[in-house]
Amino acid sequence: MIKKSSNSLAREQNRTAYLFLTPWLIGFFCLTVGPMIASLYFSFTKYNLLNAPTWIGLGNYSKIFSEDETFRNSLLLTFKYVFFSVPLKLAFALIVAMILNKGLRGLGIYRTVYYLPSLLGGSIAIAIVWRQIFDGNGVVNDFLSWFGIKGPSWISHPDYIIHTIIMLTVWQFGSAMVIFLAGLKQVPTELYEASSIDGAGKIRQFFSITFPLLTPVLFFNLVMGIINSFQAFTPAFVIGDGRGGPLDATMFYTLYLYLKGFSFFDMGYASALAWIMLLVIGFLTAIVFTTQKYWVFYSDDQGGK
Amino acid sequence: MKKWSLLVCIVLSLALVSACSSGGNANTAPNSQGTGTSNANSNSNGSDTPAEVELRMMWWGDQERADITNQVVELFEAKYPHIDIIGEFAPSSGYWDKINTQLASGTAPDIFFLGGNVVDYAIKGVLLPLDEYVGNQLDLSDMDESMIQYGTVNDQLLHISAGANARGIVINKTMFEKANMEIPQDGWTWEEYAAIATEISDKLGDGVYGTYDFTYDGLDIYFKQHGQQLYNMDEQTIGFDQDMAMQWFSYWAELAEKGGVVTPEAAVSNPNEDISKNLMITSQVAMTLLPSNQLTSLQSLTTDELTMVQLPRGPKGTGVVFESSQGLSGYAKTEHPEEVALFISFFINDPEAARILGNNRGVPVTAANRDVLQAEASDVEKIIYDYTSRVSEATKTEPFAISYNLPGNAEFEKMAKTTIQEIGFGRKTVEEAVASFYANAQEIIANNVAQ
Repeated sequence: MIKKSSNSLAREQNRTAYLFLTPWLIGFFCLTVGPMIASLYFSFTKYNLLNAPTWIGLGNYSKIFSEDETFRNSLLLTFKYVFFSVPLKLAFALIVAMILNKGLRGLGIYRTVYYLPSLLGGSIAIAIVWRQIFDGNGVVNDFLSWFGIKGPSWISHPDYIIHTIIMLTVWQFGSAMVIFLAGLKQVPTELYEASSIDGAGKIRQFFSITFPLLTPVLFFNLVMGIINSFQAFTPAFVIGDGRGGPLDATMFYTLYLYLKGFSFFDMGYASALAWIMLLVIGFLTAIVFTTQKYWVFYSDDQGGK
Repeated sequence: MKKWSLLVCIVLSLALVSACSSGGNANTAPNSQGTGTSNANSNSNGSDTPAEVELRMMWWGDQERADITNQVVELFEAKYPHIDIIGEFAPSSGYWDKINTQLASGTAPDIFFLGGNVVDYAIKGVLLPLDEYVGNQLDLSDMDESMIQYGTVNDQLLHISAGANARGIVINKTMFEKANMEIPQDGWTWEEYAAIATEISDKLGDGVYGTYDFTYDGLDIYFKQHGQQLYNMDEQTIGFDQDMAMQWFSYWAELAEKGGVVTPEAAVSNPNEDISKNLMITSQVAMTLLPSNQLTSLQSLTTDELTMVQLPRGPKGTGVVFESSQGLSGYAKTEHPEEVALFISFFINDPEAARILGNNRGVPVTAANRDVLQAEASDVEKIIYDYTSRVSEATKTEPFAISYNLPGNAEFEKMAKTTIQEIGFGRKTVEEAVASFYANAQEIIANNVAQ
């Protein structure tokens, strides 16, 4: 009797849960799974967006891997971007979080101020402001000219523009910082007290206490950072000329995909590019996940010891 | 209890299915409305009150163009109260992606503007054939024959030009006076052009250039000057040979080496085609290639005195014709083709509309409206009319065919501009760059003609 009623209670709870989940489920199936399946089909077709797709099997994929130079360049550029922007952003976020964790007065204000760029950074308006700041006659070069340095135009030379975009990304360290800050608050103060009695300095404390206890948070930030960086689109689209220029120096993978699909009438090809990107991101995330057992430290695991 | 949860499941999955297909339903909703109104319309010969019709229209451009276009829309609505037109616009950079997406999803506006890339859309069958409306809703009796021809692709009238212009060399007279140099005249050659560009940038010092690099914008003109063309429409193949391209690209590479050309970096931050950032308005460039209708906005941004001369000549002449700058097309799936034709007709024929629109999209395509505008032309506009009439005169003795952009225009433009930058930033030699340019151009044409 008791068993039965608990069963029906569970079922009722499930039902309520699913009811509340419906809006999300509808979105998930209609806006995510549906288009994904469609794009998988399109990736095996030649589809110019305006006429019906025609099946060409692996044609798009073989072209991408055998003769598409832009694909290779954009993939390399995106890797370069991820490789530089993610560690820099995380390091920056961690440093600022450590400083804010010192128990400053008005912490709330600082936290908001530093978090603000994350909210704004992805927007078109901010990207336009960055364009102005890093332009040939922009604020950055005015500043450099005080020291007698004649800076180049940071956004119109193919060698420099990527740095401008990386800086824009690093500047948006806020959300990673807030997560780090929460992580830092979790570190038990007894550990610091105990270690300082044992004579550990600040640096030793960081590497022996703070960092290991922060690794789960770092792990989370790293995974999110990699995924987000691979999908970066707005900074390249706005700071560059929207066509990957100058000289394909802003031809991020997502931008190339977008141009192929929506400007160059080759949606089949773009779908194939999208699936390759999905596999690349999945592969990298999998690598990060398999390495976690070597460097991520969960304090719960230690409880049984 | 089990039944209940089954029911919930069914209801939920039904909700899911209907939500998924609602996109499709939304498309068909105006459909049913549409058939109703078009029926009413065919009856409208007999009855006095035609049914309400709503049309969407989309164009590219700035706020100024949007304002005057909306004024014309209001004028049209006042004359045809049963037609309601909803205008949308986007800057030219985002316009094409937007229209492509809407065409793909079947939600394109009933009327939209196209430029030299009309072929790309014509061969994909998304444009409304207007032939059957000519003489009824669509009055083309006063329109230039060459413009009607331009809008006729594969024997179907798909595009009505809304303004014509002729490309030419814009000259900053003030800078020439400052350098104490004679202002160039029609009939000059490319050697003279190069010499003048180098001389004026030498005389006026650092950060001042003789000319913008218009390798891309002048591509088809130069080819025509040598009896070739960008794209061979009849045979659907590339219309020039690699040597021709080599000549043109190396002309600019050499000129750039001598220092007469805007550096590639400066051209990235201040591109020629972005009038508000064009270096001519800050007296940093003395000569450039632009369509004649752009002179008005360029002059409005600077106190320097500007004028226009014909392009330097090649063996066959200047290669410039009076051409459509942009025009209107209907959407093939529109529910109200008659009203679309009616609006297009109004847009190009109505004298009041012509007065409001002025030269914003180019010189009017009907003789009557040209007279209307010429009568009240400003000083800048007089320069434009003077220039375009010189071009028309020249084409009488040296005729050139109207040229179309090649299929896959957006991709070709991107590819060509990257080639120019590869040369400009010294990443490739001219020979290497042109060889891959030529191969890529052939491939883009082949890819886009196929379907």
